[in-house]
Amino acid sequence: MRARLLAYTPIASLAGCRGELTLRELLPHMGYTFAVEKISRVCSHQLVRHRVASFSQQSQRYIKVKRLSERVVTPPSVEATGEPVFLEFVEKASEAYQLLVDQGVPKEDARFVLPNAAETSLLMTMDGRSLFHFFGLRCCNRAQWEIRALADAMLGEARTAEPEVFREAGPYCYQLGYCPEGRFTCGRMQEAVEKYRA
Amino acid sequence: MKIKLVAHTPGVEAMVATSMLTTTSGSLPSRIHDRLVDSPEKVGEIVSRLEVQHGNVLEHNRLIWVVEATGDEVLEAMLDTRFLHFTRLGDDRWLMSGNLRTVVEYAQSKGSAFTRELAGSVRDLAPMVHMFMRRGHT
Repeated sequence: MRARLLAYTPIASLAGCRGELTLRELLPHMGYTFAVEKISRVCSHQLVRHRVASFSQQSQRYIKVKRLSERVVTPPSVEATGEPVFLEFVEKASEAYQLLVDQGVPKEDARFVLPNAAETSLLMTMDGRSLFHFFGLRCCNRAQWEIRALADAMLGEARTAEPEVFREAGPYCYQLGYCPEGRFTCGRMQEAVEKYRA
Repeated sequence: MKIKLVAHTPGVEAMVATSMLTTTSGSLPSRIHDRLVDSPEKVGEIVSRLEVQHGNVLEHNRLIWVVEATGDEVLEAMLDTRFLHFTRLGDDRWLMSGNLRTVVEYAQSKGSAFTRELAGSVRDLAPMVHMFMRRGHT
């Protein structure tokens, strides 16, 4: 999995407005476009729930899936079992897909047998305020491991490009100074705050 | 109503082309972008096929304008399209932002002095898309 910030509106380009608006007020006007690569379809399903963002995703309708077993994301918990059933299933799905395509079934229909583990890549564009919200939710210890790793990679890119803007971005406990997860809290707020402060 | 484009994401049409190829080519978007970013001829060739694409390929950019307008004029724009974002800078001065898709769709849905000025403001940063708008494509 990889995230790369391809383009953004530099905060310096709005230097003329800095006297009139705070950084927080400027954030909704700023745009950030990331290349998000080699994530699972599980992860992309979660990503598109951030519906204010814009997405352009590799289409299984147009792009034929090749060598599926080399292009799946395997969860660490599955790898840890050493159990072959996961890859065996992927192989079966790959064979079924290929068989259907060979029999003239359009790719848009053959893809129905593909697993959620299949890799995908996409472009994602968000405004700055929505990106802070995304980091607040998805850098949180309660987020699922893959989208949390992606959010951390995106935050790293954003902080490298615009340290002044994203210094205060991170999980909500880091942004707010308290955990908003209530009884679902991970109980490790101090650890999280220190991680994102660093 | 007067508008002035003050900032935008770089390489707007290169990103439109990157988005178009991402959905259909199978290459990684960062590789596509790296190939296209310094190749305006290739970008022009790809963007010229825009009319058969979904409008979402026009969304991977951010355009920011300073607008001089009354509150009523801004309200009218906000009622026309919910995809323009406004922040008040001072008396009858506003910071406005949106993306290229919003510009194209707003300009095509309403012919007013404001939408014509809005469309004209993207002429230099997105010449192919601007040409399509004038022809009534996309």
